[in-house]
Amino acid sequence: MQQIPDVIRQIPLNNYVWFSTALFCIGIIGVLTRRNAIIIFMSVELMLNAANLLLAAFSSYKSDPTGQVFVFFIMAVAAAEVAVGLAIIVMIYRNIQSIDVGILNKLKW
Amino acid sequence: MNAIIALSLFGITNLFLGFLNNRKILLPATLLFVLIAFGLNLADWNHEYYWFHNMLKTNNLSINFTSIILVATALVVAISRGFGNDEEHTHPAEYYGILLFSVVGAIMMVTFQSLFMLFVGIEILSVAMYVLTGSDKRNLRSNEAALKYFLMGSFATGIMLFGIALVYGATGSFDINGIGNMVNQAKLQDIMLNPYGPILYGGIILIFVGLLFKISAAPFHFWTPDVYDGAPSIFTAFMSTVVKTAGVAATYRLLSISFPAVYGLWGNPLVYITCLTLFIGNITAVYQQSFKRMLAYSSISHAGYLLITVLAKTPTTNSSILFYSLAYSIATISAFAVLMVVSEAQSKSGKPDESFTALNGLATNNPFLAFVLTVSMLSLAGIPLTAGFFGKFFIFADAFSNVSSLFKTIAVVAILMSTVGIYYYFKPIIAAYLKKGDLEKIELSPIYKLTLIITTALTILLGIAPDLVKNIF
Amino acid sequence: MNYQPSDYLPIIVQIGAALAFIVLTMVATHWLGPKRHSKAKDDVFECGIESVGNARTPISVKYFLVAILFVLFDVEIIFMYPWAVNFKTLGWDGFLEMIVFMSLLLAGFIYVLKKGVLDWEK
Repeated sequence: MQQIPDVIRQIPLNNYVWFSTALFCIGIIGVLTRRNAIIIFMSVELMLNAANLLLAAFSSYKSDPTGQVFVFFIMAVAAAEVAVGLAIIVMIYRNIQSIDVGILNKLKW
Repeated sequence: MNAIIALSLFGITNLFLGFLNNRKILLPATLLFVLIAFGLNLADWNHEYYWFHNMLKTNNLSINFTSIILVATALVVAISRGFGNDEEHTHPAEYYGILLFSVVGAIMMVTFQSLFMLFVGIEILSVAMYVLTGSDKRNLRSNEAALKYFLMGSFATGIMLFGIALVYGATGSFDINGIGNMVNQAKLQDIMLNPYGPILYGGIILIFVGLLFKISAAPFHFWTPDVYDGAPSIFTAFMSTVVKTAGVAATYRLLSISFPAVYGLWGNPLVYITCLTLFIGNITAVYQQSFKRMLAYSSISHAGYLLITVLAKTPTTNSSILFYSLAYSIATISAFAVLMVVSEAQSKSGKPDESFTALNGLATNNPFLAFVLTVSMLSLAGIPLTAGFFGKFFIFADAFSNVSSLFKTIAVVAILMSTVGIYYYFKPIIAAYLKKGDLEKIELSPIYKLTLIITTALTILLGIAPDLVKNIF
Repeated sequence: MNYQPSDYLPIIVQIGAALAFIVLTMVATHWLGPKRHSKAKDDVFECGIESVGNARTPISVKYFLVAILFVLFDVEIIFMYPWAVNFKTLGWDGFLEMIVFMSLLLAGFIYVLKKGVLDWEK
């Protein structure tokens, strides 16, 4: 069986960088253009996963496990964020029966 | 970092104290916990320690920042009064517990040695604050603030994480000293010929943007007024003091240790960001009708003042940031304390009235509150004989001592903007003393009164003898 | 071992074949089969029981709480993987640290239990 870092290294590093940058940009565009709170939140998760992928790729190219441990931390923290975020969204849904961010205009600058 | 361990355990203890059905002990218990953490923090004074396999590092600078954070937390806890009157829907034990957890995050942000801990600290602090912002569950404004804060905060985290990943790719390290060395080496060669150069630069910029989001500097400030306005006042006080201090400290630590070699990359944008922050914060604050919202904009402008000295990089930068954070924190907390009691006494149909008109005639029946308000506003405006004056003075002195003529421009902008500040900081004072109002005498609990006396006395004391703490820093 | 782009050709052929089969069967059944509509045939199939109401009714928030708690406690397990892989090298120190970590999680779990979140009947 091949070692997993070797398998990862069969694809050039540049491809990983470009791919995760593309994922990251999709995430940013999603956050900036969508109106539904859940979809915005999914876009944020996409950004986090782009960072995860990049860390894993760099980590196996540098033969340094720290990057992969960081990925674990990001996953755990993202789970905590999901818990809090969905709770906030449920709380809002209970009050206004909608999760369209356009309705939230009580606070204006 | 015994304070972190102790505070985590105290936070859990607090959650379980909630099962005792005795709400009276929560406030003193939390206050005691914070003070114990303060003592543990000072125990490391004059030593440099690495903790948890080089994840955190404490030195005198970080201990000073931790002390300011803990003092601000203690003051906020002291004015919390069991979090509102709605008995059924409040969970004070949980709020105090989450508050302590978020302080753990803040301390990690000022002591981090590895980008691991920077990320985890920011997340502990932010996730706790998302919950506390939305803690007023039935209030739509609080809900909205929580959602905005959550979406914007996690967006900023995502940006910062991608930056961390890129910097890791370019330097192969998460340790801030290690990154600093690698950046120095990369600088020696032509950076664009280095295959990792663009990755490194992109990463630094993204981390930088993420951090500026967190301290609400100007192009990234738009969430701040809404969130500060919608959150319950007590947590706004916490956010605008502890979160801001921790954010500025983290930015300063990262920029001064890891990236001094590429000053040109982040220094030039930061000049414009600082000027823009000062401008937007102060000018928009003038047009606010709500006292709370005005304080939100003023917190943006104070982030601008703090960024000046981060930029200036003089030997006195450390002590200037510390002094300004302390002066700003105590003044803001006493302003929020007055706002909370007054807006509750003036509440219309169950909702607290947070506009300037709520303060009308405050001085007639409540001379003490009016005096506290006056001192805190003067301090925020930077009038002599208050702590805020010396805070601004040290920062402008830093800016002028830098040889670059750019800093003289920034300092002139900052001085102009602080004169604009005087205008809107006097609005509440004028409302309190010169306008007519029918505010009854407000009864204050002893601990509340004591807190107000402490903050006011400290503000005046630091305004008369700044060397008392300036020499420690 | 290096893969050339041409090595992926069989996969493309496979994808093409799979897609073609799906499209072909869908189109073929559409053209060939007789079309007779009746109430019983157009009804949503629900195990032979007559379907009631809309499928998109709000679900009790209790499911949400349990699901979120599951996610939280589930994800913490990932920290045990690196520890389990290096179990022998980390030795007793690692074991003690893992006990501290698990006891913190356990404290959270006891809190959840005492708070009554998992009381389904309440």
